[in-house]
Amino acid sequence: MSRRQLWTGIAALCVSLFIFVVPFVFILFMAVKDKRAASKLEFSWPTEWHLWANLIEVVEARNYMLLLAYFNSTVITVGAVSLIVIFSAMVGYILQRRHSRWNSLIWAGVMAGLMVPPAVVPTIWVLQNLGLFKTIHGMVLIQTAYGLSFAILLFRSFISTIPRDLDEAAIIDGAKPLQIFFRVILPLLKPATVTIIVVQSIAIFNDFTNPLYYLPGKENVTVQLTLFNFQSQFVSQLNLLFMNILLITIPPLIVYIFFNRQIVAGMTSGAVKG
Amino acid sequence: MARVTLKNVTKSFGAVEVIKGVNLEVDDGEFCVFVGPSGCGKSTLLRIISGLEDTTSGSIEIDGVDVSGEEPSKRGIAMVFQSYALYPHLTVRENIGFGLSLAKLPKAEIKAKVDAAAEKLQLTDYLDRKPKALSGGQRQRVAIGRAIVRDPKVFLFDEPLSNLDAALRSQMRIELTDLHAELGATMIYVTHDQVEAMTMADKIVVLNAGKIEQVGSPMELYNHPVSPFVAGFIGSPKMNLLEGDVAKGMGCSTYGVRPEHLEITEDGIWGGKVRHLERLGADTVVYLDTKEAGSVVVRTVGDLAVKVGDVLRVRPMAGKEHKF
Repeated sequence: MSRRQLWTGIAALCVSLFIFVVPFVFILFMAVKDKRAASKLEFSWPTEWHLWANLIEVVEARNYMLLLAYFNSTVITVGAVSLIVIFSAMVGYILQRRHSRWNSLIWAGVMAGLMVPPAVVPTIWVLQNLGLFKTIHGMVLIQTAYGLSFAILLFRSFISTIPRDLDEAAIIDGAKPLQIFFRVILPLLKPATVTIIVVQSIAIFNDFTNPLYYLPGKENVTVQLTLFNFQSQFVSQLNLLFMNILLITIPPLIVYIFFNRQIVAGMTSGAVKG
Repeated sequence: MARVTLKNVTKSFGAVEVIKGVNLEVDDGEFCVFVGPSGCGKSTLLRIISGLEDTTSGSIEIDGVDVSGEEPSKRGIAMVFQSYALYPHLTVRENIGFGLSLAKLPKAEIKAKVDAAAEKLQLTDYLDRKPKALSGGQRQRVAIGRAIVRDPKVFLFDEPLSNLDAALRSQMRIELTDLHAELGATMIYVTHDQVEAMTMADKIVVLNAGKIEQVGSPMELYNHPVSPFVAGFIGSPKMNLLEGDVAKGMGCSTYGVRPEHLEITEDGIWGGKVRHLERLGADTVVYLDTKEAGSVVVRTVGDLAVKVGDVLRVRPMAGKEHKF
């Protein structure tokens, strides 16, 4: 590394540190201040630390709404991500392995899912008619539908790197189609699966607009909606609002920190041969 | 008894007919090798026997039972793939026992069978490794182990040695032959390498463009090829096949003589300059540009005192020539 590269590298690091870390530190500082200090909205070292007190107050607000939100968001995220992984791996497998004249049609459908933006009002109309509006499982299905296309794309290109000989060896060994999929193919899809799980779970956990449209109702609140609900209540208590932000930012942050290597591996594998 | 009988088997992919009416009988306990150039349909024929491909018409019998529409796993066959096709996420033990665990055999029985197969193939120390931690030869043995534990009536090999280096290949040839002697099972082996075919087979089936050219023991094919194709395919270096005026002068349309059946003498009928020499140690392969017969290959003794550009005369040995 030359001297010049070193200095440009350091400069780039400083800029990204400023852009990414400063807001986070600001959130942290605001979250531990008391009501009066927070109301000044300054980027300053807190004079008193009220971390625990603020935390308790936010959690207890509106009859433990935040805990309910965590529960709902977790159910939606786990449910939707599980369905996405299973179904998109299956669709990707069949699209890649079995050639039929329906393939191009199915592929067009998958592509449409990526390209055509979802319309809110017709979706609500469909959900109402199916009796799924304002239900958690309705929300799970919507998130699954939104995430499916991208996951199918990723799985299909990944499956094309798995030699067909493995399927045939399993057939010779006496495996039924479902056994081939679950015992041979699915375990080999791990890198792509991890990518899908991380990317989709963060997207679904952090989703604000879809729960806002499709999941109204106090008992259906999700973590991002707590912000929306608390914003008016905590307008004079910015410390609590920032504590809320801090609490709902932490889970995705942890996931990113631990899985960023796998995300890159899964994104690029199968990129050469498609 | 595990005889494999093919009756009028044909196979088309769309409009392309790749197998054009094959009739074949493989006897119980026989080591049968399908050999032929790329695209001759030998692998397709093997896949048809395994059940991975359907026949377009015709039938396959194993043990006298028609298995044409049967699932691969119900045919009593096991197959070893060119790429080994080991499951990368499973250990050697799980790879070998995969078929047995699918069949829901008791764990103790699976373990006993896998251990026995591993012992036979010297894999006992590697049972807990993943395939990526094995060498090419060991992976090959795992693939064979996976076939052995199923206790099949017929073993099918699809170019199993072509991914190995030359030294390992000749070693594995011997191991496979020994295994055949030990198990006494019927084995069908596909290769494009005529050396493998000659060294391992009880019966060689030479395929060309989807049809059987000739079936016979290695020496039968070597001594009595029925067509110029078989003559040119079996034996190394290739038989000299001469057409045109030379063949007409001999009273046939194609005149063939093997390089080892040409002797270098002063009064040879063909003569010309040495274009190229291959010194193999034990013998020398001489490429001659003759005036009478064009380019001719001669195999002769190792320490022949000759160099490129010398003029030599050669003569076919009496009774060793082939006329088609």
